[in-house]
Amino acid sequence: MGYMLRLGPALFWLALTVPVQADTPRDIQTLSQDPAWLTLGHYQPDTLGSGFTSQADDPDFFLSGDGKHSPQSELEATLAAIQRPGDGNGHAQCRFPARTTWLRKKLELSLPGVNCPAYEEWTETLNTETVTLVFAASYLNSPSSMFGHTFLRLDPPQEDAETNLLLANTISYAADAAAHDSEILFAYKGIFGGYPGITTVQPYYEKIRLYSDIEHRDLWEYKLNLTQPEVDLMLAHAWEIRDHNFDYYFFDENCAYRLLALIDVARPGTDLLDEVSTHAIPSDTVRWVVDKDLVAGVYYRPSAATSVAYSLETLPDDHQTLAAAVANGYVEPGAEEVRVLSPEERAHVLDATYDYVRYQSEADGWPREFAAPLSHELLTERSRIDNAEAPAPPPEPKIRDDQGHDTFRASLGAGQLAHREFTQLTLRPAYHDVLDPPAGYRAGAQLQFLRLDARYYTDNDELQLEQLIGVEIRSLSPRNQFFSPLSWQVGFGGRRTDTGTMRVLTPYLEGGAGGSWMLGKQIQAFAIATADLEIDDDLRRGYDAAPGADLGLLHQNNRFSLLAGTRTKAWIVSSQHRQDQVYARGNWHLGRDFSVFAEFTREDHYDRYQSTWQTGLHAYF
Amino acid sequence: MKKLIAGAILLGASSMAFAQPGCGIGAMVWKGQSGIAPHVLAATTNGTFGNQTFGMTTGTLGCQTNQAVQSMAMYMDSNIDKVARDMSRGNGENLDTLAVLLGVDAADRDTFRKVLQDNFATIFPSSDTTSGEAVDAIVALLEQNDSLSKYVAA
Repeated sequence: MGYMLRLGPALFWLALTVPVQADTPRDIQTLSQDPAWLTLGHYQPDTLGSGFTSQADDPDFFLSGDGKHSPQSELEATLAAIQRPGDGNGHAQCRFPARTTWLRKKLELSLPGVNCPAYEEWTETLNTETVTLVFAASYLNSPSSMFGHTFLRLDPPQEDAETNLLLANTISYAADAAAHDSEILFAYKGIFGGYPGITTVQPYYEKIRLYSDIEHRDLWEYKLNLTQPEVDLMLAHAWEIRDHNFDYYFFDENCAYRLLALIDVARPGTDLLDEVSTHAIPSDTVRWVVDKDLVAGVYYRPSAATSVAYSLETLPDDHQTLAAAVANGYVEPGAEEVRVLSPEERAHVLDATYDYVRYQSEADGWPREFAAPLSHELLTERSRIDNAEAPAPPPEPKIRDDQGHDTFRASLGAGQLAHREFTQLTLRPAYHDVLDPPAGYRAGAQLQFLRLDARYYTDNDELQLEQLIGVEIRSLSPRNQFFSPLSWQVGFGGRRTDTGTMRVLTPYLEGGAGGSWMLGKQIQAFAIATADLEIDDDLRRGYDAAPGADLGLLHQNNRFSLLAGTRTKAWIVSSQHRQDQVYARGNWHLGRDFSVFAEFTREDHYDRYQSTWQTGLHAYF
Repeated sequence: MKKLIAGAILLGASSMAFAQPGCGIGAMVWKGQSGIAPHVLAATTNGTFGNQTFGMTTGTLGCQTNQAVQSMAMYMDSNIDKVARDMSRGNGENLDTLAVLLGVDAADRDTFRKVLQDNFATIFPSSDTTSGEAVDAIVALLEQNDSLSKYVAA
């Protein structure tokens, strides 16, 4: 009843304003369909029917009992509540400052003044002038990080030396997983729902610590060109959703998704959320933000790993050897070999060595009993050198992550398998393989999801599913005297396998581990021990397994990529035949949207040789 | 993604801290978080975390004393190895952050950097120096310096 009484003045007032804005007639019903209102309530059109449902999964986010499903009753309830007299943090104006601001402006309301001490203190503390979208890039040995991560940094005014962006706050949206959840439960809940997503505020230095120091991910900072009122509206909305639950899903309603909603609220009409279809890959979301002209400047913050690799790499060769010797405890930081260097050279060697020891303590768990005294000695030695020129920071990559090729790939090719001609169509929703244009991606890293290859054989008009990749991950990270990462691969799906008499579609699981080494600037050699498992009733014993090896060379540059090698598998259960292959694959990149590809495989299996070749075009979009 | 979620757990733990400002920027950030007494170097992630709260590791905490010093103490607590590195080099953004937290004027920044670099071995006498001890040593050093003592006055 009270709501109705309050609504009266609002409707009366609406009636007065309609003639004034004759070109945009509106009443409560049309106002509740306003895209800005729908964004503020996180309403999405229902897949079935014509209604709306909010993605907020918390009754406290709504003022109306029907709020989750009715933008209109929520609008009515909000209008009534914000006009109610009263004061304090519990008042609707204090709980929903963004809605209040929008409605006040839209309807030119004169609202009762309400004091909101908590909200005012919050915005005062955040002291935000501009907002920066920060993208944590992927890093090589964790392909699952390839999806990246995004969060917002709230930058204070930069007018004096008193401000320091390390101390700026960040807004982040993430799954609130219970610490005791197992990995399987975690994956299940992440995909099908079950984790609450929460919005959190944290200082930037903590984010740097997590992403840049611990996870070795470069950070890209995209300063947004939001105006002060837009920034204020964004913060007001962040306050509204701050303590409210939105269910978290890995693929769509994830970290990046919720931030897009905040930007949509800040600048109505950007409609970033409309870009999201089935999944929101953070690097894609950054692309959309760039495409919508929201970015005023981009800054690069190399990770601890990038920095240490660069500072070691830029030392002269003999100093690199010296640094390795000091780091491994063969030479003291204050030893004669180090002392003979010029102060500047010595500073660079000590700096690089300290950064390396620190990196190894984080990444490889070097024991504290060894690393701590060594680190201390390195720093003490270093503190005795005054005014040494700081070594150059790692250069910013020429191509940013958001400037790499798009992640959806469609390919059309034609070829022959043992003289049978076929046409092949391949669709790969995500994400990247080592032969795709490398710009903007980690060299040697590959992550493919749900790739489907269909072949049409022209000789007998037969359409065949050639393979369906569930997931395929490959990480070829080169080893050197400082770093010794493992190269590894894992994959599963279904593929055509040769039983000796026919090719049957067989579920498979494969994996491998080994090493890789740089032979030149852009060419690396790899040696991987592999294991394959296939399960199918067309196999003699129902399944087959094969230990094997894969030796090859990989070259990647922005014009072409080449992968060539030899592979052997010893099938030991059903077929008891070795399968030996030599293969060569190349992609010629026509910019970042298209590549021409060619591949050739010569195989010896069941005591016969056969060749497969194929050539065609990849398109990325 | 697992790591991403590990991060999320961290976020969850400290998100509440935000609503309770009161003792400067550091308190705002750290209050409520289970603390650590980090040794200076290479101890950041590898199992040397104790359960005592930060407030116990240093005498400088508590809302009565200089808030700038507390803020510095709290920043050092979580960034100790990076602060130590910058200090040994006499420059770097983490050293600048300390200067900002202490409110050191632009005119005094060079002196500030130099004093800390020149006295590195005093601030960090061993690799077992805790961040609280390092803070106390920094405060003592700054107090002895004519142009810097004003930033740490109680």
